[in-house]
Amino acid sequence: MREESYGLVLGERDLGAGRRVLDIFWGPQHPTSGHTRFIVEVDGDIVVNVTPDPGYVHRTMEKLGETRHWIQNIPLFERLSLPDAINVTWAYALAVEKLLKYDVSPRAQYLRVIMGELSRISTHLYDLGLHGIMIGSSTGFMWGYGLRELLVHLWAMVSGSRTTPTWVVPGGVRTAPPDAFYEQTKGFLQYLEKKIDEFVRVVVKNPVGFYRLKDVGYLSKEEAARLMATGPGARGSGVAWDARKAYKYGIYDELEWDICVEDGGDSLARTMVRICEIKQSAGIIRQALDRAPREGSLVGDAALHRLPPKLREKANEYVKLSGFFVVMLPQGEGTGITEGGRGRYYFHVFGDGSEKPYRVRISTPSWQNLRPMIKAFIGSRLMDLPAIYGSFGYFPPEQDR
Amino acid sequence: MDWGFLFSARLWFFVLMFAASGIVLLTVVWFERKAAARVQMRVGPYHVSPQLGGYLQLLADAFKFIISEPIVHKGAYRLLFMWGPAIFVTLAFGASLLIPLTPELRLIRDVNLLPYGLVFSLVVLLLVSIAIVLIGWSANNKFAYIGAAREALIVTAYELPLLLSFLAMVILYGTLNPIEIVERQWLAGALLNPLAFLVFIIATAMATAKFPFEIADYEGDVATGPYSDYGGIFLVLSFAGGAYYATFSYSFLATLLFLGGWGIPNFAVGSWPQDMLGHLLLAGWFLLKTTILMMFFAFLRAAMPVLRLDHTLLFGWRGLLVLSILAVVWSVVLKFVGI
Amino acid sequence: MTSVGYIVKATIDALRVAARNFVKPERITVYYPYEKLEYVRMRGWIGLWTEKCTSCMLCARICPTNAIKMYPAPNAKRYPGVDYGRCIMCHFCIDICPADALYPTDIKELAWYNYREMIYTPDMEREPPKVEETYKYVKVSIKYENGIPRKIETVK
Ligand code: SF4
Ligand code: SF4
Repeated sequence: MREESYGLVLGERDLGAGRRVLDIFWGPQHPTSGHTRFIVEVDGDIVVNVTPDPGYVHRTMEKLGETRHWIQNIPLFERLSLPDAINVTWAYALAVEKLLKYDVSPRAQYLRVIMGELSRISTHLYDLGLHGIMIGSSTGFMWGYGLRELLVHLWAMVSGSRTTPTWVVPGGVRTAPPDAFYEQTKGFLQYLEKKIDEFVRVVVKNPVGFYRLKDVGYLSKEEAARLMATGPGARGSGVAWDARKAYKYGIYDELEWDICVEDGGDSLARTMVRICEIKQSAGIIRQALDRAPREGSLVGDAALHRLPPKLREKANEYVKLSGFFVVMLPQGEGTGITEGGRGRYYFHVFGDGSEKPYRVRISTPSWQNLRPMIKAFIGSRLMDLPAIYGSFGYFPPEQDR
Repeated sequence: MDWGFLFSARLWFFVLMFAASGIVLLTVVWFERKAAARVQMRVGPYHVSPQLGGYLQLLADAFKFIISEPIVHKGAYRLLFMWGPAIFVTLAFGASLLIPLTPELRLIRDVNLLPYGLVFSLVVLLLVSIAIVLIGWSANNKFAYIGAAREALIVTAYELPLLLSFLAMVILYGTLNPIEIVERQWLAGALLNPLAFLVFIIATAMATAKFPFEIADYEGDVATGPYSDYGGIFLVLSFAGGAYYATFSYSFLATLLFLGGWGIPNFAVGSWPQDMLGHLLLAGWFLLKTTILMMFFAFLRAAMPVLRLDHTLLFGWRGLLVLSILAVVWSVVLKFVGI
Repeated sequence: MTSVGYIVKATIDALRVAARNFVKPERITVYYPYEKLEYVRMRGWIGLWTEKCTSCMLCARICPTNAIKMYPAPNAKRYPGVDYGRCIMCHFCIDICPADALYPTDIKELAWYNYREMIYTPDMEREPPKVEETYKYVKVSIKYENGIPRKIETVK
């Protein structure tokens, strides 16, 4: 037996000056790291440095976006972040609308808000569930995903697909929800609010979970702003920035809601922002459901005008894509910004007169949140890594693009 | 040929313990899965034996694990890596064999040796953590090392309170003999000294890595820690089965000390093997209480996340230790008052 | 000592919530092969009426995954066939078809033994694939009663 090859101390690296650190390769094959790698250097139980090694799920989204018709990009970009599919495609649709000077019909605005908020809830449930299992609560995980299962039934009702709606198109939306959707959504929201309350009591307020999150992964307001944290990462540190208020896209300024801000700056604050936003979203959806017109065209006039007359009559029910396929992107550029569950989605589309975008620039919240997250990692304990990771809702496929 | 040996108390004890612990295990694991599933909006095991509510699922899982190939990776210290699980499960289950099941069904025949059996069972149980450290060390993997180091740290948090709560009960009863301990519990020990019971329960949860103290094999950062390289039969013997046997032994001990053991008030049992049914009834009663205690531990999975390591140590030293000292004081006071 | 009070109270509260869920479970499990969830809409297998098709090839061009191949037919026309190994069920092809030659179905339980079987020629697209129902099943859907989701059987 070769003694020198066994033991923890022997695996350590000498940094000089009597300091030794141990490298831990956390991911990409790890139950909680997701498809990314963090090279974690620990000194005893304290994390002294974290080097991210992203790129394992890089899918060349931006380059692929240049190689195809702009309408074909909708199913592609939606795969950036499937839990948040609507908000991603909405941002792309906003960019293309700017470029093509399309207007959005009032009905579509309401439907987009309803589905966009459902998408936000879906992302938050996804993140809360994963965060739950990361701090060891399988109940939190199952509740998050169980609720999300009920939510994707609603998506299937509207769009015909559980997780890949491909539903937002420039100018409006593709299909109108059936009447049953309005009832079902109200039932879901009622149940959601009850269950989220229980989630807080079992996972977050439970002292075991509470002290896993409290004072862990601290990110001050200045640092959050300097490192450009976004979404719950920023709002958990007291930065009251929300793209829905800042850019007033859609009809968010007609509805009553508040930005959820917590001053804690720790994992607990970020989790509470999520929970508060779920409740706010439920409120927004209720308002939008009551006000949404049940009749009316699904796309704005500019897009409607392009449809063949036979399909124009059906535009209250569904929109076919033939009107979009013949449209070229003019020379120019357009940007679209939406607030997704994890933060700000940003699409910058350049047109050059052909059907293919000349360039699509995408900026996603997980990539932006990477640096603040690394900042929050450093100085924590090894066991806090999952608690911090989960609180940012970090999502490697979205980060890598 | 003399068939008398068929009625030997030791043989029956042995067979009963093996069969019963197996059934208890099956029940508790089934309950753990079903209870967690009920809380978590789902159904749990179902398709293996739908009539029994998926009760036999564990057998199917165990069979799957046992026929799968056990892998010993390059770099592991083969001897300990392969024997570690066996040591683990032997220690974990062996401890319960040193405690009588009923006054006569027992392994230690000499009544004068019974007190030593009780102490020895606790010692053997505390050795289980050493088996875990051995496993972690032999796997030669950073995650396993960290898990093993954590296990060693947690031992410091629960060992002293556990022993002190044991001491508190021994002071209260004034004896170490299990038979007398049961006789002296005119009221269940848990009511006589609730503090000691609380400490013992929490320490047991720590010792057997039940939620919320599943720290050494915490999936979040160390990926099942010491067991992260195990598969097949090794996993069954250590992480999947051995840990449950340890829980069984701890619960067995706790039932004896705090829940009145086999004692049923106003029920006197005859001598073995004449009053066989009476003995079996007592054994069943003992095991039933053990099972219920284990079910409580199993239910914690549904309600609890995992506590942080440093908080656990803090909790062990500042909370449990103080509580256990109070429990000893409480026992001494009770003793002086004369209960 | 407020923190000790908080810890004890919140622990008991968490255990109480878990126990309440244990006593009154709110299950939403669907026993899949025996019960099938009824979605109101589901984008699934794509059918083709060859007699309507004008061979405009728009479907092949809009398909985001290049799943559609145009197969030459004896009448000198070309008809689309879908490779279900690539198809993502976005139904863009159905949306673009000017002659309504492609029609949607909600058949989504598609599985094949090897990848060659996934490539459908226009002839195969005419009839919906035969889905082998190994088990008898009932259709179920989830409805909310008093704010709790309930799985109920829908009568066909
Ligand atoms: S559904 Fe979408 S992916 Fe499938 S063949 Fe039609 S256009 Fe292509
Ligand atoms: S779009 Fe319709 S008409 Fe044109 S080739 Fe495809 S199936 Fe035929």
